[in-house]
Amino acid sequence: MILASHGLIASQIASFDADALAFFARVTAAGGTLSATEKAATNQLVLDLKANSLWTPMKAIYPMVGASAAACAQNLKSSSFTGTFTSGWTFASTGVTPNGVSAYMDTGFAPSSNLTSNNASIGYYGGTSGTSTRCALGAAGGGSYFEIYPAYPALGLFGDIFDGSTSNTTNLSADGFIFAYRNSSSTQKKHSIRNTITTKTESTGAGTISSNVVLGARNNNGVLQDYSNLQHRFDFIGDGLTDTQASNFYTAVQAFQVSLSRSV
Amino acid sequence: MIGYILTTEQYDQVQGQFINPYQFINCVQDINDVWFFFGNDQDKEAFKDTEFMWLFDLPQGEYIPKPSSRFPI
Repeated sequence: MILASHGLIASQIASFDADALAFFARVTAAGGTLSATEKAATNQLVLDLKANSLWTPMKAIYPMVGASAAACAQNLKSSSFTGTFTSGWTFASTGVTPNGVSAYMDTGFAPSSNLTSNNASIGYYGGTSGTSTRCALGAAGGGSYFEIYPAYPALGLFGDIFDGSTSNTTNLSADGFIFAYRNSSSTQKKHSIRNTITTKTESTGAGTISSNVVLGARNNNGVLQDYSNLQHRFDFIGDGLTDTQASNFYTAVQAFQVSLSRSV
Repeated sequence: MIGYILTTEQYDQVQGQFINPYQFINCVQDINDVWFFFGNDQDKEAFKDTEFMWLFDLPQGEYIPKPSSRFPI
């Protein structure tokens, strides 16, 4: 009876991964709800991440399911880094969209406490096509940058992993799975744009950043900048990845979006 | 974009205040340093039964943002 009231039946509990179940419980406890399709897709995502050695490197995963602040604030990976949204977001089954002027989500994730500068990754699955001068997610401070500007006009992706200089990869659209990563390299980082991986020669800057990573803008040492109106369908922060992990990550997240009928 | 205009005193009263455990109020200054609040229909629903519902009764005006911060690196 109690299980049924939470939208779960015994056979589903038996078939769900324990970490997926814990996420569903956090959503419910927060007052959110997930559809059976969203639960099945999220469970499969967890299984795929674990099968491809991607679960352990992840620090925070926001699947953006449930179409509410309570549900979308939850971190799939753990009960840490539960987000808090400002006013000005629109929540839908297709994703969450900030208003481009004042809306952001604070992840509570301070890179300096949770990452090392040569071993990190960050990215999002966007639902808005075209270019944008604005930041999808990130933090900055002390001459160091950890952020995703997915499709800057005429220049493309600026995906920075504690960089102190500038390099971009051509990209004309902010939609799809776009992320950046380093893997134990102080001189090279990688950009993955809809599963096309590009190597960039760029040194780490002034180390990690103490400001929390935010979604929908950039947190520059406590000052919110470059608010965007790009729709988010998945966000993550993690340790560094190998190219094989990056490719498998794309496959897993793309399959997740296909299951939810919101893939690009 | 149209937003709700706040005085500095009203800004001090609401900025950063939580309306539930997962949502809080964020106001921004326009190009003339006037404070604005933006709330959509979903926000209006979320603000119901909170002490901050009066934000949706404030006068409205055209918001012109400050120039983009800087070229990203």
